[in-house]
Amino acid sequence: MRRNNGKKIRKTIGFVALTFCSLAAGLGLFWLIFILGDVLRQGFGALNVALFFQDPFPPGEEGGGLRHAFVGQLLITSTAVLIALPIGILGGTYLAEYGRGKRISHFLSILTDTFVSIPSIIVGTFIYALCVKPLGHFSAWAGSLALAIIMVPIISRTTETMLSLVPWTMREAAFALGAPYYKVIVQVVYRGALRGIFTGTLLSLARVAGETAPLLFTSFNNSFFSLKMGEAMASLTVSIYQYALGPYSDWHDKAWAASLIITATVLLLTIIGKIVLPGGKSKR
Amino acid sequence: MKRGRKEGIAERVFAASTLIAALAMPFVIAAIFYTLWQAAYPAMEKFSVGHFLISTDWDPVRDSFGALPNISGTLVITFLSLVFSLPLSLGIAIFVTEIAPNPLKGIVATAIDLLAAIPSVVYGMWGLFTLSPLMGSYIEPALKSIFAPLPVIGLLFEGTPRGLDILTASVILSIMLIPYAASITRESLLMAPSMVKEAAYSLGATKWEVIKGVALPHAKVGILSGIFLSLGRALGETMAVAFVLGNNHRIPTSLFSAASTITVTLANEFTEADKEIYLSSLFLLALILFVISFFSLIIAKFLLLKERER
Amino acid sequence: MTSDIEINVKELSFYYGRFQALFSITFPVYRHKVTALIGPSGCGKTTLLRCLNRMHDLYPHHRYGGEIIYRGVNILANNIDLIELRSKIGMVFQKPTPFPMSIFDNVAYGLRLNGIKKKNDLEGRVEQALIQAALWEEVKDKLKHSALELSGGQQQRLVIARALAVEPEVLLFDEPTSALDPISTTKIEDLITSLKEEVSIVIVTHNMQQAARISDWTGFLMNGRLVEFSETAKLFTNPREKLTEEYITGRFG
Repeated sequence: MRRNNGKKIRKTIGFVALTFCSLAAGLGLFWLIFILGDVLRQGFGALNVALFFQDPFPPGEEGGGLRHAFVGQLLITSTAVLIALPIGILGGTYLAEYGRGKRISHFLSILTDTFVSIPSIIVGTFIYALCVKPLGHFSAWAGSLALAIIMVPIISRTTETMLSLVPWTMREAAFALGAPYYKVIVQVVYRGALRGIFTGTLLSLARVAGETAPLLFTSFNNSFFSLKMGEAMASLTVSIYQYALGPYSDWHDKAWAASLIITATVLLLTIIGKIVLPGGKSKR
Repeated sequence: MKRGRKEGIAERVFAASTLIAALAMPFVIAAIFYTLWQAAYPAMEKFSVGHFLISTDWDPVRDSFGALPNISGTLVITFLSLVFSLPLSLGIAIFVTEIAPNPLKGIVATAIDLLAAIPSVVYGMWGLFTLSPLMGSYIEPALKSIFAPLPVIGLLFEGTPRGLDILTASVILSIMLIPYAASITRESLLMAPSMVKEAAYSLGATKWEVIKGVALPHAKVGILSGIFLSLGRALGETMAVAFVLGNNHRIPTSLFSAASTITVTLANEFTEADKEIYLSSLFLLALILFVISFFSLIIAKFLLLKERER
Repeated sequence: MTSDIEINVKELSFYYGRFQALFSITFPVYRHKVTALIGPSGCGKTTLLRCLNRMHDLYPHHRYGGEIIYRGVNILANNIDLIELRSKIGMVFQKPTPFPMSIFDNVAYGLRLNGIKKKNDLEGRVEQALIQAALWEEVKDKLKHSALELSGGQQQRLVIARALAVEPEVLLFDEPTSALDPISTTKIEDLITSLKEEVSIVIVTHNMQQAARISDWTGFLMNGRLVEFSETAKLFTNPREKLTEEYITGRFG
């Protein structure tokens, strides 16, 4: 009979280690459920129709809503998309097509990837120095610009990846019919990668929809409803920051409700993006 | 012939526009560096960068500023949050790739990734209203009673636990960081050659021994990359910690100290800086942060590329 | 006999960077005939085919030597309009590559490139091309459907229709049936045979039986050199070169 001691110790160590890993996963899930559950619980109670359709009452008074912030958030974010989308797609197109294989594209890809995680508040300070200080006032344009800078690398990288997935033979087939390169890209390759590019846009949107820091000193805040892109504008995220740190419990409730909306939106966009993306391009 | 010329022009315009768009990113990075440098210059001149880095002053009234409290706050919180999150990230990655049964794999992986999707301001809210009271009323006092009497370690637990301190901020930040290292590590583990693993199994190795001996060594570089990525992310986080940090321009001395980070200082004081030198000092802080996080992220990327090349 | 020559390949050489892939190849492509190029893997037959419509120009580090005379002009010259060339010499690839668009748009793609925009003209030419490709009956009711819904064999015929729509004079086939099942293969082979009434065809194939079945002339390549070129029947039953005989009898593959 061989001694089993060594084996037993090995097995125990293994068991302990694997249990730790499972517990780690459990803990991670615990945090997720805890946080989301809290947001749901606290935010749901404060949800009401007035939140969406009324502007805020004077501080201290109960009631009113966050219409100005919802509208502001939509305006700023959609403007950011309009700015970032063409730049991101064209940039990704260069990396995947005209710049294919060239060393500079390799370098640009690395740089772009790195920039995806750059501190967003730095982008805010940059735009402040560029747009706010010289003009002497905050503006929604500045906020959109800051968000756009954050979005461009994400859209660009996703576009590059998706375009690279389109098989080269499809391009050759278009060339063989006499198409010039730009038509091959726009008429054939883009169509093949449409789904992926769309998803990349969704994911970049999810990323910036929840951003606060870049807006803090660009679009700043506004207690009033405004559609003027040239002036400071309220946003949902900054309002959450403002209300949460304020003294009124009514404000705290509203901050929770706004958090719920923002979190739900961002999670929804992220999940849609994850479902669509692995599906990739056209089925064969 | 006419068609040819029109096509030629359209082709060149399109190709040029893609190149310009691609160059936008490096251009912006350079522009950020240049702009920050320009705006920080007055402070650099007045305080000299070396002095600025080690000065503990932060006095808007006397126009004397220094970066040490903020830098130390940033570094301490980053360090702590990494210490808290990395073991979890590693454990989760191993769980998802090696332990979880197939249907569970995808669900757990996606769920963990969702942690990265929650907006940081929501983390801040939750931290302020839920975690902080819990920490201040229950967890921190408990920790204090256990650890404070101990020599050396006890120093870390000095002060009155109020829940608005480095510890709480680090816990929140660590939760935010979990998915980053977890997903990179997960991908790296998946690349471990299954044939070598099977050989190890056939020699009678336990599951953990195979993970430790085969999968993890292969994922070493990926794990390192994940660490640097989390580092870069932690350095730049603002909103999640702004709510619970306590905002105190002092070098933190214990886990229960209120402190400040570069990002939080920027968030709170940028719009209040009334004097040129004040603003310029803030920009200098921003510049320092930009450089540190940029390098951290570049290192993360290069490590990842080195691994992919293998 | 020379008036029956569509393309005259004269001393054609080709270089990828420093590597020489083709060595002074000379042979004619006869009008309204099927010319097959056979040989073991890596012999250069696809490289040769892709010289005929200058596909190599898409990639860097290519160099042509010699001449390819088509319609009295050397198409390897620098001043050739490649877009014009490719509307006259079309290509069908190994893997069916329909564009991610409707069946109609796929066939109409080349036409639209050439400036044909009127609906009536497009519809007429598309129908004609699909009939020529023996696909019309199967798709006439679903022209607006995505081309990706078609089976592999149908997709390949669609791709042929797409190439035919611009009314080329020559069609180049690069192993067109190697990705298809036997039934689709037969259909494509019949199609190629019927198409030679209207276009001159050059087909690269690693399937010797296929070459024997459908081609009129056959060229056998090895290591970038044209070992033998003659009428198909003669090449397969009574080859002139020993290498040819060895290849045909399966001495090497």
